[in-house]
Amino acid sequence: MDTISLPATERSPRIDFDFGRGHLALRGESYPEDAAAFYGPLLQALRGYLAEAATDPIVFEVGLAYFNSSSAKALMNLFMPLEDAAAEGRPVTIRWFYADGDETIAEAGEDFAADFSHARFEMVEEFA
Amino acid sequence: MLAQDFRSFFNASRREGVILSFGGDLSENVLFSLGEVLKLRMGQDATHSSVTKRVFGIFVEQAQNIIRYSADKVAEPTGSRGLISAGMIVVGVAGERFYVVCGNEVPDGDVPTLRARLDHLTTMTGDELKAFYREKLRQPPDEGSLGGSIGLIEIARRSSAPVEYDFQELGDGRSFFCLKAYI
Repeated sequence: MDTISLPATERSPRIDFDFGRGHLALRGESYPEDAAAFYGPLLQALRGYLAEAATDPIVFEVGLAYFNSSSAKALMNLFMPLEDAAAEGRPVTIRWFYADGDETIAEAGEDFAADFSHARFEMVEEFA
Repeated sequence: MLAQDFRSFFNASRREGVILSFGGDLSENVLFSLGEVLKLRMGQDATHSSVTKRVFGIFVEQAQNIIRYSADKVAEPTGSRGLISAGMIVVGVAGERFYVVCGNEVPDGDVPTLRARLDHLTTMTGDELKAFYREKLRQPPDEGSLGGSIGLIEIARRSSAPVEYDFQELGDGRSFFCLKAYI
């Protein structure tokens, strides 16, 4: 599986997981009916990709205007194996996008950032 | 008489500052539609966008709690159809603050755990809630949880005052649970 592409829906983000390029992105809003069902296959694919133990850099871009608590849990589940891979020496960068003035999303990013010590976590402010 | 009675009910809720009120069977699709009109209404009333986001966030967590944990379920999930559960949810304005209140039946067996969790959350400061949320985020969900076991913490930390909650015994092994959050 080289790529997973899903269009955004009204309550789930656009997914562009390009494993070939090591570029993963998630954009939109996230409060799917069943967060485990939505994120489960993505987590499985990510784990499979990381298990190949390559050394290519990974960039994961997350730009969510809103996400519910079940999605927060799912994001954490995606972040943890990435941090583990970084701890084993793989270059991993997480880019957390938040709209100018959106304190809620900025604060959520800072919360997640505190759990990374090996992966690079960048906060990116976006202006409309 | 019908119009008069119904209008006085409608006006009473307006007087109470109610901007959205739903009682009955709640599905994820109903949640989505109610959330859309809530955002539109708050947008029209020129509510600060950060307040709108917090009200909307708490509304989603409360509505999903009803759908997932109400004892009064219409349908069990089969194939593509998700849970449908009875309860009520009201969003309103009291003074300068918004509130979101939900009510639904729960099995009596759930009451002690739920009460203990809420008792615990209401003693915590904002910083403690934040730390607790981060701790729970990294742990596997509690047994019986259909989400991340963090919905109630999310509601508490997005509220501007400790959440209010109450239980009323209904008999037949059920209690009515109510949770009110101020934003």
